[in-house]
Amino acid sequence: MAVLAYLFQPAAEWTHLVRTVLATYTWNTVIVVFGVVVLSMLLAVPSAWFVSRYEFWGRDWLSWALVLPLAIPTYVSGFVFYRGTEAATDFLIWVKLNVGIDAYFAAELGIRYGLLMIALAAVLYPYVYLACRASFAQQGKGPIEAARCLGRSRKSVFFSVALPMARPALAAGGLLVVMEVINDYGAVNIFGVPTLTEGIFRTWFNMGDKVSALRLAGVVMFVVAGLLLIEQFLRGRARYVETEGALAVPQRECLERWRQLRVLLWCLVPLVIGFCIPVIRLASWAVMYLKENGWGSLPFGEAFLRGTGLAVVTAIVVTLIATFFIYAVRLKRCHYRRCANRVANLGYTMPGTVVAVGVMAVFGAFDRASEAFLPVISGTLLAIAFAYFVRFFAIPSQLIRSGMDRMGKPLEEASRVLGERPLNTFLRVNVPLLRGAIFAAAMLMFVDILKELPLTLILRPANFETLATIAFSLAKEGRLQACALPSLMIIAISGIGLAFMQRWMSHLDRVTSRKEDCEC
Amino acid sequence: MRKSFVTSLGALCLLFFCSPVLQAQESITLYTQRHYGFDEKVHAQFEEKTGIKVNVVKAGADELIARLGEEGERTPADLFMTADAGTLTRAKEAGVLGTFSNPELTAGVPDFLKDADGAWTAMTYRARVIMYAHDRVKPEELSTYEALADDKWRARVLIRSSSNVYNQSLMTTIIEANGADGALEWAKAVRKNMARPPQGSDRDQIRSVAKGLGDIAVANTYYLGLLETSEEETDRKAAAAVKVFFPNNAGRGSHVNVSGVGVVGVSKKKELAEKFVAFLLSPEVQAQFPENTFEYPAVESIELSEQQKRWGELKADQVPLSTLGKRNAEAVRLFNEAGWE
Repeated sequence: MAVLAYLFQPAAEWTHLVRTVLATYTWNTVIVVFGVVVLSMLLAVPSAWFVSRYEFWGRDWLSWALVLPLAIPTYVSGFVFYRGTEAATDFLIWVKLNVGIDAYFAAELGIRYGLLMIALAAVLYPYVYLACRASFAQQGKGPIEAARCLGRSRKSVFFSVALPMARPALAAGGLLVVMEVINDYGAVNIFGVPTLTEGIFRTWFNMGDKVSALRLAGVVMFVVAGLLLIEQFLRGRARYVETEGALAVPQRECLERWRQLRVLLWCLVPLVIGFCIPVIRLASWAVMYLKENGWGSLPFGEAFLRGTGLAVVTAIVVTLIATFFIYAVRLKRCHYRRCANRVANLGYTMPGTVVAVGVMAVFGAFDRASEAFLPVISGTLLAIAFAYFVRFFAIPSQLIRSGMDRMGKPLEEASRVLGERPLNTFLRVNVPLLRGAIFAAAMLMFVDILKELPLTLILRPANFETLATIAFSLAKEGRLQACALPSLMIIAISGIGLAFMQRWMSHLDRVTSRKEDCEC
Repeated sequence: MRKSFVTSLGALCLLFFCSPVLQAQESITLYTQRHYGFDEKVHAQFEEKTGIKVNVVKAGADELIARLGEEGERTPADLFMTADAGTLTRAKEAGVLGTFSNPELTAGVPDFLKDADGAWTAMTYRARVIMYAHDRVKPEELSTYEALADDKWRARVLIRSSSNVYNQSLMTTIIEANGADGALEWAKAVRKNMARPPQGSDRDQIRSVAKGLGDIAVANTYYLGLLETSEEETDRKAAAAVKVFFPNNAGRGSHVNVSGVGVVGVSKKKELAEKFVAFLLSPEVQAQFPENTFEYPAVESIELSEQQKRWGELKADQVPLSTLGKRNAEAVRLFNEAGWE
């Protein structure tokens, strides 16, 4: 809201920005967002389809390993992949000498933008993958079997039945990717692709024009809000609800050997670029560092405990609040609540720094007002936790809402008809049914907070270091070798968390299907 | 079970949210932009010597200025430190810095490296210089920053994005020397001469010169020192492939920028804070900077490191850095006009 208020104030540098750089910023943002979304879909959708529909060698571990790239922060994958442009140097020099200078510039541009998109898509595709896999796994066997009976090939079933049915999931996952890309500051900066977010920083801090900067932030928010509206409009009145037989998950099909191999290769691609390449590169740096400095040269223990603790607590609290919030929206379709929900989601589209400054302003004012009777809140972990809430609310809200939408209303209505109060219905019907989505949301929040940088940097109390801030300090100093260790630790913790989540969810799946069997 | 879960969650919350409040020892709080491991050693030395603990918040300079502004009277900060004169000037203009109570405190620091009103002082400085591939470029071909606009450098110059504050402060000196129109022409011509669109860090520019993508790079001196001592062999090779040229040595001198520190205006521990500043400017600490961060010590008469001597003699542009900070917004506007990303 504070940001919106700024949109209509006179801004000193606005016309200058429009005249010079706004078009470039917008164009770059659109291109990168589009490229990353397309790439993410290419990486995520086929593998999600394969692991949820087919039985092949390695399916079990691939199914959760494919989520692992999420553990890698975009700024880390940014600097790992940027070093990859060096591999192309010889080729570029060859082009410059033999083909011509214009061809050289074109090739350089292509390689750089391409690598940037890969660097981002490689670690963001799991958002789409998770959403799609859940959706594919829950699509009833009815439509698909019908299509197969009518003589459609496997491929054609995928494109004409399964994919259209997975649309809400694609939209939800894709939207998270869009917002992450728009927000990214580290990677685009290294690659020299100025987007709107970089423009915000430049205008605010280097030109000292807060109003124009916030107007840029406003442009970003409107673009995302526009995307949301378009998706909703295209979806029209269609409701993607699973009806009877929703839980009757079809058997996974067994494949011949050569097909197994093909499917396996498809699924390995995202894992290799999203996880193996960065981790191997980091590990080689870490080894270089350890050779020079030996073990125990960096005290990470405290940062590990503090960062992880904060992430755990905040993730749980925010997810719980989000669940209530969404249920409240669902309960009464009043406009006020729906709008509140939309606004709350927009925090995810704002760059972390803008959120941080907003939160500082709120707590600064609060501290001044409460000087007489309360200790200072600015610069405590409470302020950080609140900022995480504002920033990441979209994650649980998106996931849980899409879970609730899929669930349909009959069970809830039954419970209400039987005389249960809304709160009881919520606790006894919705929450147990949604526990998978709730747990997944909490876990994703946890991983995101663990990686989070700008908010933590600005709002933290004195001497408060997390693994992310340590990694950032070292990267900033250019000590990539030293930075590799804390980065690997972030990846390891998130990786363990994600693997745990995957295990638990597949356990849930099995429990549900066993119940099904009994009832049959 | 649910109850015990809630209780333990509550306990965890309490523990986390209250932990920073518990402090006993005498201490000062420093908001700093500098991300150097070496700074922590300096803080430890200070604590050992005086018994005063230095609490640190590290973040971007402008974010910290914003935080100081929002926290107002109740800020825990006593000192503010950045790696750029422009942000120090902005902090002063935002009214968050006080002034040193005793001018003697910064007596060893030359005038152009400190604020005229005593709001901040440099503790170190660095030069933004030209680094050239010594197998392809002769030092006689190089002269000034202005000469980088020459056509002979077409597609040979490597320099990073104009979002970087070091480029912005270089631009302010170009404006100071050639006027806004001259600076705009310069930026347009240099943009045309770039071997590739601006990207990466100063270190990446040096690496790319070594790889042969361009022939000269503009970078800060200490990055070369850091590459020379890197853990990675390719970095050390890259450092060996380039040499330093100090531009404008025949004229106004090479552009330098500072790492500096000021005392927060509303601090209740000004005395302790100034003690820390005095410590930073003491010969024992000043003498450690050249060896560890490869920066030039702000106090004159301190011995330079081997590397620094090897790079050559630096003649610093003496234009007062505080006037440059005021031109920062103009510099960014000109970069935007020139299409220098």
